[in-house]
Amino acid sequence: MLEIKNLHASVEGKEILRGINMTVNPGEVHAIMGPNGAGKSTLSNVLAGREGYEVTQGEVIYKGENLLDLEPEERAQRGVFLAFQYPVEIPGVSNIYLLKAALNAVRKYQGLDEVDAIDFLNLVRDRMKLVKMDEQFLHRNVNEGFSGGEKKRNEILQMAVLEPALAILDETDSGLDIDALRVVAEGVNALRAEDRSIVMITHYQRLLDHIVPDFVHVLSEGKIVKSGDKELAKELEKSGYSWVHDAPEGQTA
Amino acid sequence: MKQLTEITTPFGEVASAKTLPGSELGWLQQLRDKARAQFERHGLPAKKVEDWKYTSLWALSQQGFSHDAKAVSLDKTELSHVAALEDAYRFVIVDGRFSAELSELEGLEEGLSIKPLVDGLEGAQTMLGEQIDVEKPGLNAINTMLMHEGMVLQVQAGKTINKPVELLVISTAENQKLASHLRNLIQLEADAEVTLLEHYVSLADTEGFTDVVTEVKLAEKATLNHFKLQHESLAHYHIATLASKQAAGSHWHTNNISLGGKLARNDIHSQLLGEEAHVTMDGLYLVTGDQHVDNHTRIDHAVPNTTSDEVYKGVLDGNSHAVFNGKVNVHKDAQKTDSSQSNKNLLLSRSCEIDTKPELEIYADDVKCAHGSTVGQIDEQHLFFLRARGLDETAARSLLTYAFAVDVLQRIKSAPMRQALSNVIEKRLPKGA
Repeated sequence: MLEIKNLHASVEGKEILRGINMTVNPGEVHAIMGPNGAGKSTLSNVLAGREGYEVTQGEVIYKGENLLDLEPEERAQRGVFLAFQYPVEIPGVSNIYLLKAALNAVRKYQGLDEVDAIDFLNLVRDRMKLVKMDEQFLHRNVNEGFSGGEKKRNEILQMAVLEPALAILDETDSGLDIDALRVVAEGVNALRAEDRSIVMITHYQRLLDHIVPDFVHVLSEGKIVKSGDKELAKELEKSGYSWVHDAPEGQTA
Repeated sequence: MKQLTEITTPFGEVASAKTLPGSELGWLQQLRDKARAQFERHGLPAKKVEDWKYTSLWALSQQGFSHDAKAVSLDKTELSHVAALEDAYRFVIVDGRFSAELSELEGLEEGLSIKPLVDGLEGAQTMLGEQIDVEKPGLNAINTMLMHEGMVLQVQAGKTINKPVELLVISTAENQKLASHLRNLIQLEADAEVTLLEHYVSLADTEGFTDVVTEVKLAEKATLNHFKLQHESLAHYHIATLASKQAAGSHWHTNNISLGGKLARNDIHSQLLGEEAHVTMDGLYLVTGDQHVDNHTRIDHAVPNTTSDEVYKGVLDGNSHAVFNGKVNVHKDAQKTDSSQSNKNLLLSRSCEIDTKPELEIYADDVKCAHGSTVGQIDEQHLFFLRARGLDETAARSLLTYAFAVDVLQRIKSAPMRQALSNVIEKRLPKGA
């Protein structure tokens, strides 16, 4: 599904990612953890194609294509989904319009006709149940006036409608109280599938209590310094990140 | 004073003033003479006049427009593609001439009267010229000298007219370089209500000039929902005054959409003369290429307890230039005035220019007034978000542009009107959405 090879990336001339290696197979859930400034958000932004990040070395292969050669919309159309850490408010664009435009962009790439209006509404209603969102949110502008929890649920709703092959969840737990976290986690868990991979980027272990990963990677100073299974996350919870600097490099699962 | 027979204007010769309507009415001749004297003293406004600082009429004065239009026949099916409203009374002017054949004025609702200017002049003495200042720098004097066509609409006291009225002013390719001087008179008696769309459109890339003054008189508790869609060719000049004197409790909801024209200028003026009078002044301009659009609005809160609400938005692309000047004047005794005004602009290119100037003058001490203007670009965060959801860049930009403009449309209460205007605007956006 996704293969990251020796990925180096800089922001404004400063190297943030210093050789990331990682393989994600279909159906797997990977968690990338690490302290502030480790490069977690840079990694998700590079994968989604945000401007301002310069890849200086390495490659990212997604379903046999070099992901880094593609525009952000081309990545999305091929099934890469980024759930934003800070979802933006877009006045004047309703949620339902966004969902339809996004779904049709994917369908167009797949050679399908635009979605039928009734099928679309049924799909959206069904997916809204996953994240316990009320239908009134469909007709509100994207994220405008939403609480932090509602914004994150809205991201997962978009994921549920678009059914991506690879979802990157960037700090999806940040700013959520425990009830909201549970709703979001249940939504994500319902979307786990054999042909869908999920990469979760998080600072805290608590998300992983709700969405249990197959693999955990520790990112520090732009490199993966340790990989393991879900037990690694618990270790981190106990001892914090201070030890990771001393860990031997390149140890992968 | 010269005899008013041969008139020379910067826009070309007018063959004979005697052919102008109302030449037999003494009061009208006096009005025309006064306007002519005014024009001969001051001519066209120069750029040193503050209100014309950013808009030059020099190019317009060099065009050599003609005032002699040959008659043009259009068929009704052609017209149906041009009209904005499906279900409306329609008053159609083609190349400066009222067309009874193309108009749809059969079976008007009781209390509604619609006539061409020539038939409405008699008895218009207390109305015509009353809402405007003929000495103001601009084209009011020329319009008064030369007005030859227009619509006179009246609604009787207490009548609410259900069907909207579309004033459709068409420029065709048959008459190049034609100047039209139109005067519309809209008079609503007490408690009357009607919805009017002034719609200006070209059928081809015609070079032309529309000079129009619309005077509005609203009696106590009258309501006029007044829309304007200016959608003429990119070679067309359009200069308009829209002015109203509003009595107590009257409502004037204006919405002024400028899409076309090489040069378009609107002067919109409301005088709130009775308590509880309200004016909404909304507007949207979408310009590109070498287009120039200038909206000057003025609201006078002359008495206590009046309200105004103004939202103007602009989208500029290419080398276009837009000007917004919004004056709100709260007079000395106008306590409890409630006024809000905003002008927001979205710049899509590096070479477009906006000059925006809200002006608030307050001479009362117990008032609530807010105003502001902004100039911005498409938000890169918004753009990336939409692209990360699969929309290509053009579609994302187009959607964000529409989203920027849409609240001016959302403020339109009438659903058919909102739909009609949205359809026109969507077609004008950068391709993709």
